[in-house]
Amino acid sequence: MNKVGMTVSSKVIKNFFSQTTVLAQRSLVSELRQIATVLPGLLFPLLLAFTYTEQFNRVLTLPGFPEVESFLDFLLPATVLQMVSFGASNSGTELALDIENGFMDRLLASPVARVPILIGRVAGSALLAGLKTVIIVLVFLIAGAQVSSGLAGLLVLVVSACLLVVVIGGLSQILAIRSGSQEVVGATFPLIFVMIFMSSAFFPTELMSGWFKRLMIVGWSWSDAATSLGILVLGAVLITSASVHALHKKLGRP
Amino acid sequence: MTTQTFSKMGSGISFSIAMAICRRGVLRVISRPTLLLPIVFMPVIMLISFTGAFGSLTRIDGYGSENIYDWMAPYVALQGSLFAGVFGAAATAEDFETGFFDRLLLTPGSRSSILLGTVWVSAIRSLFPTVGVLTVALLGGLNLSGGVSAVLLLVVASALLASVFCLFSLAIVYRFKTMRSLMIVQLLAFTSFFMTIGQVPLEFMTGWLHEVARFNPTTNVLRFARQGFLDGITWDLTWPGIVVFAAANTIGFVLAFRSLRLIGS
Repeated sequence: MNKVGMTVSSKVIKNFFSQTTVLAQRSLVSELRQIATVLPGLLFPLLLAFTYTEQFNRVLTLPGFPEVESFLDFLLPATVLQMVSFGASNSGTELALDIENGFMDRLLASPVARVPILIGRVAGSALLAGLKTVIIVLVFLIAGAQVSSGLAGLLVLVVSACLLVVVIGGLSQILAIRSGSQEVVGATFPLIFVMIFMSSAFFPTELMSGWFKRLMIVGWSWSDAATSLGILVLGAVLITSASVHALHKKLGRP
Repeated sequence: MTTQTFSKMGSGISFSIAMAICRRGVLRVISRPTLLLPIVFMPVIMLISFTGAFGSLTRIDGYGSENIYDWMAPYVALQGSLFAGVFGAAATAEDFETGFFDRLLLTPGSRSSILLGTVWVSAIRSLFPTVGVLTVALLGGLNLSGGVSAVLLLVVASALLASVFCLFSLAIVYRFKTMRSLMIVQLLAFTSFFMTIGQVPLEFMTGWLHEVARFNPTTNVLRFARQGFLDGITWDLTWPGIVVFAAANTIGFVLAFRSLRLIGS
């Protein structure tokens, strides 16, 4: 590649990152400004966790239940998952709002590339999810929960939460692009809700060997951490590509 | 005496107006079936989730039932009815936003007719989650040992619970006149329903939750609605439920009517 070509491509990359950062900042600020809609997504999972801890203490005696000090130890990943499910579809809802009120058209008319519009939105939600995960972990630790895998496990939990937002948020963005309706995006929440309950998140199953749980209860394991992050990274890449494809399909290739 | 004067009570409540509002609400649901999705789909999903996730609870000694569906179905049906009540008030919020409510206020007679009609719609709407949940639960393995009387008791409880939450939601909607204001009621309703004997018996609970669930009025409502599905219907479990329903409906009506009277004053 000649010198001119290299300069152009480095400028494109620089623009891409600066546009994504600005749009992520916009997304984060808009979420933080609507604190009344953000707080329930944090408080409700915490409330549910403390309620379940007092409800399900007897299940610790069931054969096959992982050895934990209290049900609270078992619930930490599930609480993070639920928090993510509450907030993840916000990026889709906000995108649908942008489409509804015409802001999306103005963005598309500006020199902003299309991909940062989608990634910026999800990145804001992902950052917020990371922050909320830290808050949840702190509340759990204060309440006496123990995390066998220590700081490394908690770090993986935070990164997992961020990546999961990219996956779920990306799906909701596809819906937002296709429908252009906030109501349709909002209607996907029950599906995510049921997926959490249908997993081993809140209760152990006979086949309970999920990486998300093992990381918290069994202790640190490189292979579990790699599997968890690997699956999420793959999901994030696939979903983001699908949402970019959906946007191109709707608008026509540039 | 004409039909119109016959349908008017001394207090000024016009049952014909209440009936018309109720009919409009029912027609609205029929013409827009998507409105039923949250109140039927969500409870059915919860039934599947809870019975699937917490099925092994029945293996623990002292759990209220050997069949998880017998325990969970009435709980989830009531939860759906609760939302039927809240969404009944949401229709009023929509009327405010579209300006239709101003026209309703021009109707002759007491404003309580408007209130009554809206509450009736909510009570009728509570049938949808109840029937939906029971159908899915039967397919899943519900015993229904109490037979028709158990179902009837649940239907009555669902209708009364929907009316309670409709009244409380209306008290808020009449003041704030927006759909958003209903978030407060939804959050309170959901929380109050989790801190009760919905998923496990009182004996299973420990710490602060045991005390909260013990004094939570919803516990008596659940005992009232669930008894037919477990050990049979008894007066001991029935009367506390009746007291809670009567008190909550009365308080709700007073609050909602006060808010309604204040509109435009």
